[in-house]
Amino acid sequence: MNTLSILWIVIPFFIGFVIYLVPKFDRYLALSMAILSTAYGAALFANPSPLTLQLLDSFGVTLVIDPLSGYFILTNALVTAAVVAYCWQTPKTAFFYAQLIILHGSVNAAFACADFISLYVALEVISIAAFLLIAYPRSDRSIWVGLRYLFVSNTAMLFYLVGAVLVYQSTGSFYFGGLAQAPPEAFALIGVGLLVKGGIFVSGLWLPLTHSESETPVSAVLSGVVVKAGVYPMVRCALVLQEFDPIIRLFGVSTALLGVFYAMFEKDTKRMLAFHTVSQIGFILAAPEVGGFYALTHGLVKSSLFLIAGALPSRSFKELQERPMPTAIWVALVIASFSISGFPMLSGFGAKVLTMKSLVPWQVIAMNLAALGTAISFAKFIFLPHQPPEKPAEHQPMRTGFWIAVSLLIGGLFATNGIYYEAYTIANIIKPLATIGVGWLIYLLILKKTIFKLPRLLEQFEHLIGVMSLMLILLFWMVLA
Amino acid sequence: MDVMSTGVVAYYVLIAARGGLLTPIFADDGDLSRMGSNGLNAYADPVPQAVILTAIVIGLSIQALMLVGVMKLSRNNPTLETSEIEKNNMP
Repeated sequence: MNTLSILWIVIPFFIGFVIYLVPKFDRYLALSMAILSTAYGAALFANPSPLTLQLLDSFGVTLVIDPLSGYFILTNALVTAAVVAYCWQTPKTAFFYAQLIILHGSVNAAFACADFISLYVALEVISIAAFLLIAYPRSDRSIWVGLRYLFVSNTAMLFYLVGAVLVYQSTGSFYFGGLAQAPPEAFALIGVGLLVKGGIFVSGLWLPLTHSESETPVSAVLSGVVVKAGVYPMVRCALVLQEFDPIIRLFGVSTALLGVFYAMFEKDTKRMLAFHTVSQIGFILAAPEVGGFYALTHGLVKSSLFLIAGALPSRSFKELQERPMPTAIWVALVIASFSISGFPMLSGFGAKVLTMKSLVPWQVIAMNLAALGTAISFAKFIFLPHQPPEKPAEHQPMRTGFWIAVSLLIGGLFATNGIYYEAYTIANIIKPLATIGVGWLIYLLILKKTIFKLPRLLEQFEHLIGVMSLMLILLFWMVLA
Repeated sequence: MDVMSTGVVAYYVLIAARGGLLTPIFADDGDLSRMGSNGLNAYADPVPQAVILTAIVIGLSIQALMLVGVMKLSRNNPTLETSEIEKNNMP
């Protein structure tokens, strides 16, 4: 198993370069890599004992692979497979697939490692690969969005690097657990880096523009897995170090509320989904013990939603009200929206119930509010008009790759529903139904009529950097307090 | 705030300055070597150096990548003023 794990981490990078050398087989290689990762992720659940590898003594690379990372790895593999299927018939060059697989590999590496420096390297490779994917269309806007992403994440990673060396200074190794003996500023610096990478709370507001302005398959990957690479270390830290657990939970709750608040008032489909990613990350962090399952669910649902949103006739909700979409797309959209609002029979339900159960008392009210907000914002999707495609000339024929991708993701949603059977008690079923019902009522009665535009002040480039330093100070005081 | 918006190029100088400021920390770290049991205190600790070497390489490649992006952008926005570029590119 040890050699297998190391091989599995190295192979994607190798395949990434091979794709570039043999552009003819790009899709097949990319797809087989994703399948390999799926198999590996599934094998992790078969042997539940955590696998710890320490290469090169105490200051070397440490890898920890257990079911928690298994969930994340499975998410990554499924989303990558779906995206490759989605792009199968598009004229994407081998370069695109090469970057996609390198991105896949580095995200895998980030999920497997347990020391700060390997994590740093993995996160930086992620930034580079993601930048190349965002800037793939080579338009001015995409380059600007990519640059902005690269700059923000690079600045954050510099903070992180300073924090990592402080940990080394006090313990002599880069292992996650060393954070406990490190001075408080180390946690603050590392925290800022991870908060920005993971798109958490105010410092995560770079995320909506980046995710909404990139191409459909790229936003699916970014939202589905790449942000989780920043979240996973936070979850891991919260599990290893009990004293930081409340801080991370607090961030989870505030992120969930902030993201959903923005999402409720958003008028653009892709931006709404991106804000929603922010809020769902909050859910993952709010209950770190069960964060893995939630991350899997969210990765599947969010990437399928992004793929579907790319197939809609328009991006603005207002136009979508007037231009009905084909019924088949609408059905897929409704299934995904139901899952994310926590409707029984889909895995979103199990994940939500599990999260709600492991909350600490002070979190419960806030998280229920956030769940309500989720239902409200997805009512926007569910109540869109639709029609059977009677005039086929009007809509261009849907590509089969799209359907393969979406059915893979939604099938995953149904299948993972089986992981947590105990959720099906009457009280548990009634609660999400009530939440969804109340959310829809609020949407139909109030929100549908109001037109309210939130300022985007905080999303401007300069403010992103400024907020980063403010967060640093805030985190520092939180650790000291 | 105005200082930050003088242009994307200024940001790179800023990043370079940050990278440069990092080094003294590592130099200090070397002096505090923890392998003191056998009187070898004078040696610098190689681990942070190895690590920062990785970071330097990564930083260099990222800067190169960003410069290419900036060159592409400068074709249409010769002044490279971030606020202007942002205004044109916000949805």
